Formats: sequence, C-alpha cells, structure tokens
Amino acid sequence: MQRLTESQLNELQQDLDQIRDQVIADLGERDANYIRRVVRLHRSLEVGGRVMMPFGFIPPVFLTATTALGLSKIIENMEIGHNVMHGQYDWMNDPSLNSQTYEWDTACGGDSWRRTHNYEHHTYTNIIGKDRDYGYALLRLSEDDKWRPAHLLQFANYVLLTTFFQWGVGLHELEFERLRKGDITLKEKIPFLKEFFRKGGRQAFKDYIFFPAVTLPVAPIVLAGNVSANLMRNLWSSTVIFCGHFTQDAETFTEEESDGESKGHWYLRQLTGSSNFTGSRWVHLLSGHLSYQIEHHVFPDLPAHRYPEISGQVEAVCKKYGIHYNTGRFAKQYGTVLKRIAGYSLPDRLRTRLWPEFSQPAA
Amino acid sequence: MLAQFQTSNALHWLGRQLFNRTDPAAFFDPLLERIDPMLAQQTIRARVVSITTETADTRTFVLKPASRWQGFRAGQHIALTLDINGVRRTRTFSLSSTPSQWQENGTIALTIKRIKDGLVTGWMHDCLTPGETLSVSEAFGDFGIPEAAEPSLYIVGGSGITPVLSHLETMAAAGSHAPVTLLYYVRTRNDVIASKRLAVLAEQWPALTLSIFTTNEPGKAQRLSDQHLHQVPGISARRCYLCGPEGLMDLASDLLDRRDVPESRIHCTRFSAPPMKDAVELDADSLGGQVQFAKSGKQTDSRGDASLLDIAEASGLSPKHGCRMGICHQCSCTKTSGTVINRLTGKTSGNGEETIQLCVSVPAGAVAIDL
Ligand SMILES: Cc1cc2nc3c(=O)[nH]c(=O)nc-3n(C[C@H](O)[C@H](O)[C@H](O)COP(=O)(O)OP(=O)(O)OC[C@H]3O[C@@H](n4cnc5c(N)ncnc54)[C@H](O)[C@@H]3O)c2cc1C
Ligand code: FES
Repeated sequence: MQRLTESQLNELQQDLDQIRDQVIADLGERDANYIRRVVRLHRSLEVGGRVMMPFGFIPPVFLTATTALGLSKIIENMEIGHNVMHGQYDWMNDPSLNSQTYEWDTACGGDSWRRTHNYEHHTYTNIIGKDRDYGYALLRLSEDDKWRPAHLLQFANYVLLTTFFQWGVGLHELEFERLRKGDITLKEKIPFLKEFFRKGGRQAFKDYIFFPAVTLPVAPIVLAGNVSANLMRNLWSSTVIFCGHFTQDAETFTEEESDGESKGHWYLRQLTGSSNFTGSRWVHLLSGHLSYQIEHHVFPDLPAHRYPEISGQVEAVCKKYGIHYNTGRFAKQYGTVLKRIAGYSLPDRLRTRLWPEFSQPAA
Repeated sequence: MLAQFQTSNALHWLGRQLFNRTDPAAFFDPLLERIDPMLAQQTIRARVVSITTETADTRTFVLKPASRWQGFRAGQHIALTLDINGVRRTRTFSLSSTPSQWQENGTIALTIKRIKDGLVTGWMHDCLTPGETLSVSEAFGDFGIPEAAEPSLYIVGGSGITPVLSHLETMAAAGSHAPVTLLYYVRTRNDVIASKRLAVLAEQWPALTLSIFTTNEPGKAQRLSDQHLHQVPGISARRCYLCGPEGLMDLASDLLDRRDVPESRIHCTRFSAPPMKDAVELDADSLGGQVQFAKSGKQTDSRGDASLLDIAEASGLSPKHGCRMGICHQCSCTKTSGTVINRLTGKTSGNGEETIQLCVSVPAGAVAIDL
C-alpha cells in the first residue's frame, strides 16, 4: 500500500471530509426525487413482470416478463436495498427508506446484512482474516491464504457461488469455515439460522411456491421465469461486487497495519482496496453505483447517485497523494477478477510464472 | 381493498411475505401516488381545501383527510407530516374545527401561527397551496370538553385558542346551558384569532361570557391578574381549561391554586415543552423499577433516569415518537399502573391509568405500559 506519513493521512482525511461535507450540505429534494423515481421504476418493473409472467407461454412475453422481474430485483437489491441500508437516505425521515428497518428482496435478512456488510466489511475492508467478504471464506484470492490442492477447484466454486449468490450471502453469517474448524458451535448460530430460514423461506415461498401456485395452469412457466429472474440478479450482483474488491490492483491489508488506525488510514485503505468500472448511466444505476466502489467505500452513507458527481474530486485527491485510482472498462476489470480467481487456484510458483502481474506479496 | 391488508390478519401475513414489509399495503404507494396522492396507504393523506388568513401571522388550513381517518373529539390534536426539501417533518397541531363539521362534510381545520424562523409553520404559510396533500395522524390527546355540562372557565393566550374554538362551538351546538367564561389574552387587537367565530358565539350562545384582553396594546396592557379571576362567578366550582404560552399557563395555575381550585379540575394542553431551565434534578435513588409492556408481553428492569421511550426501544419495541424531548406528544401512550416522574416538570404522576409521554417519563417503581 502507498505509504503516507501521519500528517499526510490527516490532510487526506481533511480533503475527503470536505468533499463529504459539501454533499451533506447540499442534500435535499433532488436526492429525494431521485430515490423515489427509482423506487417507482422498481414497482413498475416488478408489477409489470409478475402480471406478464403467466402469459409467458408466448416466448417474447416470457422474455420480457423475466427481464422485467430480473431488472426489478437488481434495482431493488443494488440501488435501493443496499444503499438504503447504508443509511444513505435516513436524513429523509421516510420510514420506507430507513436503514434500520428496510428489508430487501433477497434471501439474506436485512439484520444479518447490516451486521456482516455494513459493519464488518465496511470497517475491516480487505483486511485478510477480518473482512470475511474477501473471498467469502470460499475462494483463495491472495497469498495470505496458504495454497491447498482443494483450491484447484475454486473456479467451479466461484461458478456455484455466483449462481446461488443470494443463498451464499444469506448464509454468510453462519461462518461455515469457523464452524468446521470448531472455533464456534452450531448452537451459537441457532438464532442466526432461525432468522435465515424465516427470510430465506419467505423468498422461496414467494417466488417458487406462491406465484406459481396462484397461476396453476401455467405454474411451470411462472416458476421458470422466477428462477431465471433470480439467477439474473445473482449473476449480475455477484459480478459487480467481485469487481469492487478483487480486481488486479485492489490491495489487501493485515490486521497489524490496521490495528488502532486513524480515520485517515481507514480512508487510505478504502481508496486502495476498492476498484471502479466505467459504463453508461444505466450500468451505474443497475450496479447501485457500486461501479463507483471507491467513492462508495470512502462515503458509504452518501446517496449513491452522487458518486458520479464527486468522482472527479476523489480522483484528484488520489492524484495529490500518489494513490492509484483503480478504474477501467467493465470487461477489463472483470477480466482481472477472473484471472485472480483462476490464478490463485494454482500453487504460487505456477501462478507467478503464468501471471506475473498477480504477484502482490503477502500483505 | 388495499386497506384490507392491514385489517385482515391472513392477508397482512401474506403481504409481509410478498412485499417484505410490515405495512404491505404501502408497497404500491409509489404507483398509486402518481394516480392520486390521496390513495397512498403508508400514511393518511389529507388534501388542502382552502387557506384563510386570520391575523398577520396566523392562518386556518381546511383539510379533507382520506375517508379512512377515524375522526376526533373536540380539543384533540393531530401530528401533521409533510416533506420540506426532501426531509419528512412532523409537527403537532390542535384541531380548531368541530367534530360535527367533519361528520357533515369530511373537513377539519388547523389554525396555525407562524413561529419566528419556524421551519414547518413558515413553509405552510409561504408554500402550501390548496389542492396539495400532506399526511395526518389519527387524533389524540385528552383535552376534552366536560362530560356532563358543568360551569367552566377557559384561560387562553394567542394561538392557544385553537382547541378551545372546537370546544366552544361543540358545546354551543349542543345547546349547553352551563356558564362558560373565556378569558382570551392576545398581544394587540389585530392578533385576535377567529374573531368572527368568537363574535358569533358570544352573540348566539347566552351561556358564554367572552372577555378579550390585549397585553401589548399601548396604554392598554392588561395581563392576566387575580382581578380578572375575581370577576368570574363561582370560580371554585368551575372546571378550568388552560391553553397558551408557558408564562400564561404557569401564572394561571398559580392563581387558580390560590383560589382553591383543585388540580384535578384544571386541564392544560401545552403547545411546547416547559423550558429546559425548569427541568429538574431527579433523585436518582427513587428512579427505575420493573417495566412491563402489556401488549407485547415484554418485561424489563430499568435503573436511573432512563426514559420509558429508551427503555422500550432497548427491549426491542419501536414505539411511535418524534422529538424525544417532550414537545410533540407523538409518544403519548397509556400507563395502566405505577408512577412515573416527568423529567421536564419533575412532577410525579398518580398511580392509576393515565396518558403519559414516553420520552420524558421516568419510572419510579414498577410500572405497566400499554405497549
Ligand atoms: C399538543 C400541541 C398542539 C399544538 N397546537 C397548535 C395549534 O393549534 N396552532 C399552532 O399554531 N401551533 C400549535 N402547536 C405548536 C406547534 O406544534 C409549533 O408551533 C410547531 O411545532 C413549530 O414548528 P416549526 O417547524 O414551525 O418550528 P421549528 O422550526 O421546529 O422551531 C423554530 C423555533 O421555534 C421554537 N419553537 C418550536 N415550537 C414552539 C412552540 N410551540 N412555541 C414556541 N416556540 C417554539 C423552536 O425552539 C425554535 O427555536 C401545538 C403544539 C402541541 C404540542
Ligand atoms: S413528545 Fe415528542 S417524542 Fe415524546
């Protein structure tokens, strides 16, 4: 990681705080209108998708209905749910957009997400051993994890994870790897499991039982459409998230270097541990503006549609301190993610020979 | 149809499953609002029918709430909610119209004084126009007219006249014969709110004695004094109602006390919390106790000067609230037994059933709350 002195870190903090303060001072009707417009779009897509689905025996209708429902789930999860739960719209005082009570359209319960994502991942971003989002305790993505032959299969694991992403995220808090090692017992996880079955069950009931059942003669079509819509959301959201922290230049950190760190150091870690990708307005909307992962990680509670507006300023701050502002086309960034997954499935010696660019020393 | 989501348990359960929210009917609001804001289910909407000027700084807003609004008793207030620059704001206002008007044509009225630098009152005066909608809560508060007709005395200052208008017109329409005296204190002649309605009442309702005093009229400054009370016949047998600025209410309570009017016959509605300087040092030893939340079946122990709102939240409940400082009354709730101390006034409650504000009430011993 870029080394900065304490006084530089302080100055970095001031520069970034200033950007944040500017936005906070300007929050108002424009932001409220934006998120309400997105919510309206979500409702139209979901209602439209569900109403059309039973007519899916006509192939173009099936395609339209599935796409509408898939998009509705993507928008609800990414631009609404994720961002609302970060508290980006708490200042509006609208109980429907409240970070602590919002419940989203995915298997992972809102409370579990607030604990694992908002707290653990955003506080300990990319600290190996503390940020369990780094590789989801399933993938080896840096040399800090010792290579084992089982890692040879990790590309298949990745395909499974991305396909069933909502269930993976839903079960994240189970801490399966620690259960296996015996660090924790299943008994301690019973409250979590209850929560998981309640929320996961609700999602499965809705998409795989209720809506097919009420449209009985065409149940298989509705079921197929709903499964496809969920799959579409799983693939897209996991891809966006992977592009946020696992690209080639996204850095990892150790517990020691981050222990008792200052706010400036935390900022530095967020800047160097995250990566953006470029795209059209729609790509940004569908990614919940996590295409501006760097901005999101330094300012997780600013309304996400503001990230494009401040990205120039954040990039300028990075430049000032010689920090690499990690961005690129979507295909390029995703390409490096796939390479990282494939590369680290191999023993280190083989990897460094094949892909020398992935030779970040153990953090 | 949508409202059934709330009323039928099975439908409500299904709605929660399908829409991931405890108020499933509100899921469609973003679409319904486009058609007509009054269709929204998250809150009860009310349309502004008309706005009339009462005085230089006071206006009356006539509203028509959605049909599922459940009505009110004279003297009650509502929480009004509206969005200003993207931020949802809630403030409490008394209903200045009568329940019978609402029964006849479905309209209610709020008479609102513009507070200096007041965000919501200022916005309502400057920006709100007829045809727009805002949200209203169900009515609450227990500043009601006497159940049996009995002699009464109203001591009112400024915009405190609002709930009293509703009282007087309701009693007048019922043809009540018990004597009613209204002592109304305003700054100048021009600050009399609803002067026409008051004049009509005084003229058509023989039971009413109306006296208006101007406190800031040059050469004619008349502040509330014992002299004014002296002129009220049979004062000690009257039920007394106070509504107005803190200073006036304190003075009135004092004067009534000296005339041996028992506290149980004095009713106040406060538009603002007593100033913080009055907040009292509470004796920590006598505070705290077992708190029982009857409806939810939860029970917990409290210590020190934690308010019942904090205690309820710590037990995983989420009672309705607003300001958390004793101003808005949104946290008002029934205490079924036990005593609480009001953090702002230092007053200890009785130990029976009564309405308390959770956010400023500290348990003193075991209490049971209807939550
Ligand atoms: C039960 C109840 C009934 C009420 N009924 C009426 C009514 O019928 N008509 C009416 O006009 N008002 C009524 N009020 C008062 C009304 O709620 C306030 O005027 C309103 O909340 C002010 O909001 P604002 O956003 O304009 O002021 P804010 O922006 O919240 O406050 C601006 C400034 O005014 C001060 N302030 C706020 N409220 C008051 C107050 N009540 N008195 C003095 N200063 C205050 C604040 O401390 C601040 O300095 C009632 C209040 C209560 C609790
Ligand atoms: S009076 Fe406002 S929350 Fe209690």
